[in-house]
Amino acid sequence: MHRVKFRSCLIALATGMTLIVSGCDQPAPPVTGAAPTMRLLSESQYRNIIADLFGAQITVGGSFDPLVRTNGLLTVGATNARITPAGLEQFDRMARSIAEQVVSEANRDVLIPCKPASVSSPDDACATAFYKNVGRILYRHPLTDDEVRSPVAVAAAAGRDLGNFYDGIASGLAGMMVSPSFLFSIDATEPDPSLPGKVRLDGYAKAARLSFFLWNTTPDDQLLTAAEKGALHDKKGLNAQVDRMLGSPKLETGMRAFFNDMLAFDDFAKIEKDSIIYPSFSAAVAEDAKEQSLRTIVDLLITQQGDYRDLFTTRKTFMSGPLGRIYRVPVDRPDGGWIPYEFPEGDQRAGLITQISFAALYSHPGRSSPTLRGRAIRESLLCQKIPDPPGDVDFSLFNDPNSPNKTARDRLSAHATQPACAGCHKLTDPIGLAMERIDGAGQLRTTESGASIDPSGDLDGVKFTDAVGLGKAMRDNPAVPPCIVNRVYSYATGRTPERTEQPLLNHFEKQFTSAQFRLPKLLQSIAASDALFAVAAPEARAAAAPPEKDNKS
Amino acid sequence: MSNTKAFSEITRRTGAVLATALVLAVSFAANAQPKTLGFVITTWNTGLYESKFVDECPEGFNIGYDEIWWRGLSKPERARLTDNGLKSRLDRYFNAIRRGPNKEDVCMNPTIVKDPPLLTVEGKVSYGANLDGNADGSATANTCKHENFTGLDGTPGIDNQMYRLLGCVYGFRSYGQFEVNANENRKSNGNGMTLIEVTGVDDEKNDNDVKVSFYRAIDQYTLDGGGNFTPFASYRVDAAGGKLRYGSAVKGRIENGVLTTDEGDVNLPFYGNYTYMNQEIKDMRLRLELSEDGAKVNGMASGYYGVDQLMFYIGGLGPISSTAISNCPSIYLAAHELADGHPDPQTGKCTALSSAYNFRAVAAFIIHPKAEQTASADQK
Repeated sequence: MHRVKFRSCLIALATGMTLIVSGCDQPAPPVTGAAPTMRLLSESQYRNIIADLFGAQITVGGSFDPLVRTNGLLTVGATNARITPAGLEQFDRMARSIAEQVVSEANRDVLIPCKPASVSSPDDACATAFYKNVGRILYRHPLTDDEVRSPVAVAAAAGRDLGNFYDGIASGLAGMMVSPSFLFSIDATEPDPSLPGKVRLDGYAKAARLSFFLWNTTPDDQLLTAAEKGALHDKKGLNAQVDRMLGSPKLETGMRAFFNDMLAFDDFAKIEKDSIIYPSFSAAVAEDAKEQSLRTIVDLLITQQGDYRDLFTTRKTFMSGPLGRIYRVPVDRPDGGWIPYEFPEGDQRAGLITQISFAALYSHPGRSSPTLRGRAIRESLLCQKIPDPPGDVDFSLFNDPNSPNKTARDRLSAHATQPACAGCHKLTDPIGLAMERIDGAGQLRTTESGASIDPSGDLDGVKFTDAVGLGKAMRDNPAVPPCIVNRVYSYATGRTPERTEQPLLNHFEKQFTSAQFRLPKLLQSIAASDALFAVAAPEARAAAAPPEKDNKS
Repeated sequence: MSNTKAFSEITRRTGAVLATALVLAVSFAANAQPKTLGFVITTWNTGLYESKFVDECPEGFNIGYDEIWWRGLSKPERARLTDNGLKSRLDRYFNAIRRGPNKEDVCMNPTIVKDPPLLTVEGKVSYGANLDGNADGSATANTCKHENFTGLDGTPGIDNQMYRLLGCVYGFRSYGQFEVNANENRKSNGNGMTLIEVTGVDDEKNDNDVKVSFYRAIDQYTLDGGGNFTPFASYRVDAAGGKLRYGSAVKGRIENGVLTTDEGDVNLPFYGNYTYMNQEIKDMRLRLELSEDGAKVNGMASGYYGVDQLMFYIGGLGPISSTAISNCPSIYLAAHELADGHPDPQTGKCTALSSAYNFRAVAAFIIHPKAEQTASADQK
């Protein structure tokens, strides 16, 4: 039997199969699981849920409290997030606005499945039908009787007071949308029948975890139905749902959210450039720069099912009119549309880190920043932590317009002679300086203040001559695959992997490597693993955990 | 990287991927296929040399037809029209423009009234080129006798009768309403935008054989947040129904980074002051100073501009003429007197004015229509 599995695995690899290679997966190491969590919905998840449930015509206004990036991901930060009083006010305001739109005359006939006996008075039966229907999607499980009773009572009271059934319905709906059951993805547990004395995530919590991981939205009807039937506790049923989800167009939405998080693209919301120094950089350029990178990622990793590492060397991307002005390439879509575009062989643009998004995001408003860029590469793409700079850094060398140090390399060389700074700059600058021929707005240049820019450097001992060379060094860097594995797993579980989980991460990395670094395989491995759903009561975890050690690796 | 390779790649993909003729506007390294430069004209001004103290107009600027009309009114008429001075605003233009004996529009009938003669330029220096090839302004087979200017660099024999005609008309000076309005109109609505394409460029510094073509853009200008023209934007050429509506071309050369062309009859789009024009400039030649970064360039076009074409434009300027201080009848008569090019074979009178136009442009990618679209349109 083992021989058969091994053979099918070899055949699959030899024929370049990129999808799931069944039969060749080694069993995953056992996992203890982490404590159940409550994860606050992200802004994009909130918006996706509303769009899925009520349609894209519903406007979601208002602002969301920022999340704290943890282990490189806002999603992990969301696990520890709380709702501030001001944040709750915002959620309340949004909920009321959404509810009003749902019951509006334009939408009510479509979104509310029944008609009240009288518009001017409550109708508990119709209200119950409506809340059961939307509540299953909002709360990601069928509502209990208590959960139904509450909004129905609110709708009845408000409907009576306001003399309008629909106003009552809106009140009840708004109440549901500020409930923790909606705003948090809650790890509900139940006794595990196969392991007496242990607990497991219930089917609905598993469905939510899968859905937010792969689709960045609430489970759909099929997934909830599978949860209801207990199919997600069964390997076959789980695999069927995972395969279905990986084949869904919603996977693109999910992976956009993941890479948006991993690459800290949420910072585009606050990107600023000095319009005197970079007149060509605009809000449209910033928006399109982000979109370009996400399109590149989705096309390579999802549509083409390509090698993740090629993200650092690919010359294929997409181009819009605003970006064409920065890249200085023609775009036959001045109307704002996108065209596929491939940078020619030998071009200074190849790979994610040479795109405008990366170059502009990790720069200052008026100049580039080899340090920010180097740090972003180390932290976001290689999962290496760079300490924050001390609070009393002397930036006069950088801000002096009459400095004899014309290029960033000159200035950083002078700066890095200070012992307190040298340690970190040795890690960031040799790679950040490789991108210096791309200015703070993402435009190519060869000189700075009249001096020629030297973009050569080395990454962990691998020398290169420019940013494209850095991309090639990145592609072959052994830290790249384990980093994406770590990030995907963290994103899926909403927490930083524990040290005891390193064998598990190694296992996923091995599968990822065997699958020629195809992202869908990594997603499948994690989504269908026991590890994704593993939970343990705190006392069980304490008993299972080894003594704490200082791990600097 | 080799920009040349970049261009080659773009050109190669032109058919396969985009199926468009994409024209790159930036510089490329040597040793490869000829490259193409593209520009979109951003401002276009009649080439009027303006001295610091307006010495070229020793008697001052001309008065417009509002003032001519007002000065011709008797005191009782002024009292009647202003309601004995109680009217704070008087519709001067509509009265002034219809001051023919029978209320005729004097722009449509410029000889129906006898207005003061136009004050013309008396200066000696001008923008422009020696269009007729001689330095003394004497008549030739294709020109009429006229007075020459000296160029700003001392070049003798500069022909620019358009300057002599309009240099003392306030509205046509660089700060005058006609010129400012026209540039602003094009900037805001994208009408009449001219694209210049230089093809067959082997060396951007020195190349003795290039082709310069002119097109109309159908996309509006790309502006930055400060309202400035953004270089390296893409513009599609006007090819309604698959056929180019413009596309005049002349041969040229580049010497030390300055592009000059042979003369040729060129059609250019124009829009300004509510008037669309298909301008024909006869015997036009171009001078374009290419910049190091290729982003922004300055240029001058010179050639003969038809009097009828000019009067069509001036006649259509309408109420703006009030604030621009202009007068059709005076300009009409002077234009015919000053015309120095393209004599009518029947009458021998010249029909066009030597002229010059200063313009600015920014680098642009010029997008030609898809080959298959053009082909199918041609087949119809």
